[in-house]
Amino acid sequence: MMERSPRPPEALMRAIAQDLRPVRPSPRPLHLALRMVPLALLVSSVILLAIGPRYDSGILGPLLTWGPSAGQFVLAIALVWIAAHESTPSGKLPRPLLYSAAIAASLLVVFVTLLTFSTSPASEPLLRLPPRVNEMLRTSPWIMGFGCGIGSTLAGGILVLFFSWVFRNSLATRPTAAGALYGAGAGLAINAGWRIACPVSTLWHALGAHGAAIIATVILGALIGRFLGNRRLHFGGRPS
Amino acid sequence: MIRYQGGSLEAFQEIYAQLAPGVRRYLLHLAAGSEIADDLLQETFLQMHRSRAAYNPNYAVKPWVFGLARNVFLMNRRAARQWAKIHESREDWPEFPVLPEADRLGSQDEIRRGLAHLSPDQVETLLLHHEWGFSFDEIAGMLGITAAAARARASRGMAHLRGALNSLQRVRA
Repeated sequence: MMERSPRPPEALMRAIAQDLRPVRPSPRPLHLALRMVPLALLVSSVILLAIGPRYDSGILGPLLTWGPSAGQFVLAIALVWIAAHESTPSGKLPRPLLYSAAIAASLLVVFVTLLTFSTSPASEPLLRLPPRVNEMLRTSPWIMGFGCGIGSTLAGGILVLFFSWVFRNSLATRPTAAGALYGAGAGLAINAGWRIACPVSTLWHALGAHGAAIIATVILGALIGRFLGNRRLHFGGRPS
Repeated sequence: MIRYQGGSLEAFQEIYAQLAPGVRRYLLHLAAGSEIADDLLQETFLQMHRSRAAYNPNYAVKPWVFGLARNVFLMNRRAARQWAKIHESREDWPEFPVLPEADRLGSQDEIRRGLAHLSPDQVETLLLHHEWGFSFDEIAGMLGITAAAARARASRGMAHLRGALNSLQRVRA
């Protein structure tokens, strides 16, 4: 029995000696999540900066316009924090917390959608665009849904790529779950800004287009997480 | 670990010398005595090297490396789909560690046979706590459960082990 093996094998030593450049230690999960706030805030605000807040924000009031978005953004960062914990071999959080966060995120999106719709059931796509375009969006609401779905998926995709780069050294046992978590964080963060800009609050639009975009970022994060996990831990895999 | 992150080969050798025997025994337990444990040990330290930047000095090194070994084992199991094959030989675990706390309860052979009656989760928690000296908080971080759940698993495992040993001793008598 090889009980004591204090000296590493030659092959391992050669691999280690090949790359001994100094590295910067990773921050704690909370610090890692907080470092992502500025970029997440910037990307989620792009649509808001481009077309401004929705025309019925006066009806919704500042609390219902900004409050749910702030809540979604905080939950998005919490999901990234959980993903960072999931990526640390000795810092995993209990599974019930993971499931609770995923359920809370879903419920929050549905609740905010229902609350916004019940307060201001806006279905007119009134944007700061030429009247002709607004008329076209009014007669063909699917264009608006398509635009919101694609637009927020693209914005969320940018955030997912950024999060994936930050988590490229992730040591998650369940890399797909970790990826899905930061994907959900990206989707929620984008939705937080998008819902303030989007002038349509009907349920099919908010849940169908915006919700689909969140699901798309979850899937994208899960796929990237899985890819990174497979690349890292396959025997004979390339060093990252 | 901080010296190692700074590029010291000697620091890596020190970490290896201190942790490799324990990690190997842990991997032997996870792989149920399979020879793959030696490959996984090297893979663990290779992964540690590739991901050394992911280590945060606020974490203790030992649970981090053991957690990494567990990750490597689980990912390998998933990739190779060898789990069923490994567990077919559960009765034949040749190097299964014996808990120091259980040593007085029976012979080493009896304890090994008694442990085989426990669930894998209970055995792993018992070994992590009693054999490798991890706190329940550290075990919770490695396994993704609460500290209370880790304590309950170890406690139930020890109770089941006592019961199994009593049964074995009654049969022998």
